[in-house]
Amino acid sequence: MMQIIIQGMLLSGLYALIAMGFMLIFSIGRTLNLAYGAYIMVGGYIYFWLSQQLGMPKIVGFGGAVAVGALMGLLKHRLIVKPLKGDPVAVEISTLILAVIMQSAMVLAFGDASKILLPLIPGVVTVAGAQVTYNILAATIMSWVIILALYAFVRGTHTGRAMQAVSMDEKGAAISGVDPDRINMITWAISGGLGAAGGVFFASYTQLSPSMWVAPVIISVAIVIVGGIGSIIGTLIVAHIIGFLEITVVAVLAPELRGVFTMVLIIGVLIMRPQGLFGREEH
Amino acid sequence: MNLRPHHFILWGLFIAGMFLMPELVGKGTLRTMIFACYLAMFAISWDILSGRTGYISFGHPFLIGIGAYTTGILTRRYGFPVEASIPIAVLVTMAGGLIVLLPALRIKGSYFALVTLAVMELMYQLVPVVRPDLTGGTRGISRLPALTRGAENGYYLAVGLMLAVALMAWLLMRTRVGTALWAIGMNEESVRGSGLSTTRLKSFAFLVSAGVAGMAGAFYAHYLGTITPRAFFDINVLFQIIVAVLIGGAGTIVGPIIGAFFMVFLLEWLRPYLPGQERFFVYGLIALVIYMYQPRGIMAIVEGAWTRLRGARS
Amino acid sequence: MTMALEVRNLVKRFGGLVATNDLSFDLAEGESLGLIGPNGAGKTTVFSQVMGELRQTSGSIALFGEEISSLSTAQRIARGVSRTYQVPRPFSDLDVRENIRVGLMPDSLRAMIFGAADRDREDELALSVGFTRQDLDRPASELSMGDLRKLEFARTLATGAKVLLLDEVFAGLTTGEIAMIAEVIQDLRHRGFTFLMVSHDLPAMEPLVDRAIAIERGTLLAQGAFADVLADEAVRASYLGVA
Repeated sequence: MMQIIIQGMLLSGLYALIAMGFMLIFSIGRTLNLAYGAYIMVGGYIYFWLSQQLGMPKIVGFGGAVAVGALMGLLKHRLIVKPLKGDPVAVEISTLILAVIMQSAMVLAFGDASKILLPLIPGVVTVAGAQVTYNILAATIMSWVIILALYAFVRGTHTGRAMQAVSMDEKGAAISGVDPDRINMITWAISGGLGAAGGVFFASYTQLSPSMWVAPVIISVAIVIVGGIGSIIGTLIVAHIIGFLEITVVAVLAPELRGVFTMVLIIGVLIMRPQGLFGREEH
Repeated sequence: MNLRPHHFILWGLFIAGMFLMPELVGKGTLRTMIFACYLAMFAISWDILSGRTGYISFGHPFLIGIGAYTTGILTRRYGFPVEASIPIAVLVTMAGGLIVLLPALRIKGSYFALVTLAVMELMYQLVPVVRPDLTGGTRGISRLPALTRGAENGYYLAVGLMLAVALMAWLLMRTRVGTALWAIGMNEESVRGSGLSTTRLKSFAFLVSAGVAGMAGAFYAHYLGTITPRAFFDINVLFQIIVAVLIGGAGTIVGPIIGAFFMVFLLEWLRPYLPGQERFFVYGLIALVIYMYQPRGIMAIVEGAWTRLRGARS
Repeated sequence: MTMALEVRNLVKRFGGLVATNDLSFDLAEGESLGLIGPNGAGKTTVFSQVMGELRQTSGSIALFGEEISSLSTAQRIARGVSRTYQVPRPFSDLDVRENIRVGLMPDSLRAMIFGAADRDREDELALSVGFTRQDLDRPASELSMGDLRKLEFARTLATGAKVLLLDEVFAGLTTGEIAMIAEVIQDLRHRGFTFLMVSHDLPAMEPLVDRAIAIERGTLLAQGAFADVLADEAVRASYLGVA
């Protein structure tokens, strides 16, 4: 029981971290940015390359991953989303293509085989009979820190409030003197960085492989939509529902069924309550 | 689009060329063309729903997979003859798709895309673990009965099916239903405001699309002889279908066919230089550039060039 | 006389906001009624409720004596009521003729697949609202605002509805186009069509209506002859800003 609670908390924290970056973009453009999965995957690989292949300090590897993720976010906004003028269908499709391109690029650079990522922080601690690696503990703490920082940023700073304004009404925000273009760029960059950071932890939690991006991207999209678009609290709650659901299924039923229940939950909620469990109705 | 005599001539030449192909090319190329034909059918199926109505389906591998698995299970586990199993596979695909995805037609845009993507992922995870005695688990089902002997016959079957599907889709899209589906893609509220029940129209498009996907999936499974979850419920399959439609030109019949052949042959030509999955890198870049340059695909690029050429002459 | 449309005690609340407040009015068959009121008075909300795009909070709506509150939009249109929109909503890649074709389609898959399009009727409708023959093959994306309004009007007529709700049909039209549309409306009135119309162009609307009702914040202010309603104190205060 204790095992489930602890593991659940840890996995949920990880999911919350991954979902946060996605939420930023989705709440601004309502775009299903499938290339978000590419940040997760590329983040993991950059970390692997810098710290395990080049032998640099782990923190450099992590920083490098975040920087590359942020750069990818920026480039994506500049080169794809802006030229398409936010046409949702076109963005969905072009980001799917981009995600597959990045997947192939990783195969090209690192090969097809999946890789084991050395933990960011090695070591294991036993809490109430549950084996907890420092790594996933760090991921959870980190995700909470990032989530709180993001919350403070969105609520407390001028740029953060401008981001909120743009997400609610881009034209209105523009009229009141906010430059939506600049805000969009900042948001895409933060989102890319968060995705890459999540990717480093996610890859060390599971494994690093070129096709690892599909499941986390579906889960993060779903967490965001089910949680109610733009609601940080809702996102947190749903990340925990899914995290605990998966851990419980693994512990009680069978490890193979882990993803099945998550998908059923996602499909069910989207069809029954498209506005999400905690979201306001949109027209 | 208004029909001109040259359309018929071009189609006649195309069909004649397709049927003469086995005389002209080797068995290897023929196999590539067979795959292109099936991909073209998948692409037409996707286009009937998503290319027209704008409801982007990320779940077509799911539909194709149901068709393939139904006929695989019926023939290999229950000893059904293929004459019975393929029609049943089509019906099961329509029914299965209906149950899972029809409620999703109530939701719009990204939500629909996401639900269909989740359904595909669900199947990928579910098929190996539920009743592995039937589905064969991750290893899938092998030694499906073959419908044809030799590459040539397989090719004739694939081309024949593709042309039949294309003709059916073409005839259907020429009717007022085709116009109405187009109209839904442009402005769904206005279609409703014109007194049409859009849910019924979308469901119809979905059923036709699922039927085509199921049929093509079932025939494809018998052609391959082996089916595995990885080969069907995979993002790369989805990628190939969507890219084939978009590169060729969504909302047309010939577009998905052109796109499918273009894609399959490009991948084939890249094989000597990039043997692995890396080919998708180059391929994806080409697809992205074409899509960003002209979202309506090669068809529109060719038409544009043709118009400019004629304009320059006159 | 049969009532084409009977609206009784219609109420629509959005959260705390009352958009339609206990509104009742009748529209006799063949009658033309002007619905006037300032911006945000709830005119379009009334249209949306009659068409079933919005469900009323309470109250009833009857079309030719039949209660239609539980019917879908498509079913209401099939029973003979249709509307235009303030902002035209064309099918931009379809040409003028095809846009009208969508309006003419029966709501039956079988008929849509096996029946042919009625080209003569499409052309006739297009020409009747002022399109020229050359316009018929132009895609809607190339049309001017005025043309889009004409197209919207033609598509609404094409549904075969006998009761037409017109939302700002004159906005963005030239004087010539207004005259043309007005003529079409007059002709339809002679042929027994029923109208409920909203327009800010009161002089253009006056000759087209038998009677008017004025609303403000969803509440009925006055009804009667057009001139009397405009002369009403409450109406003048709210609408024209004249005390």
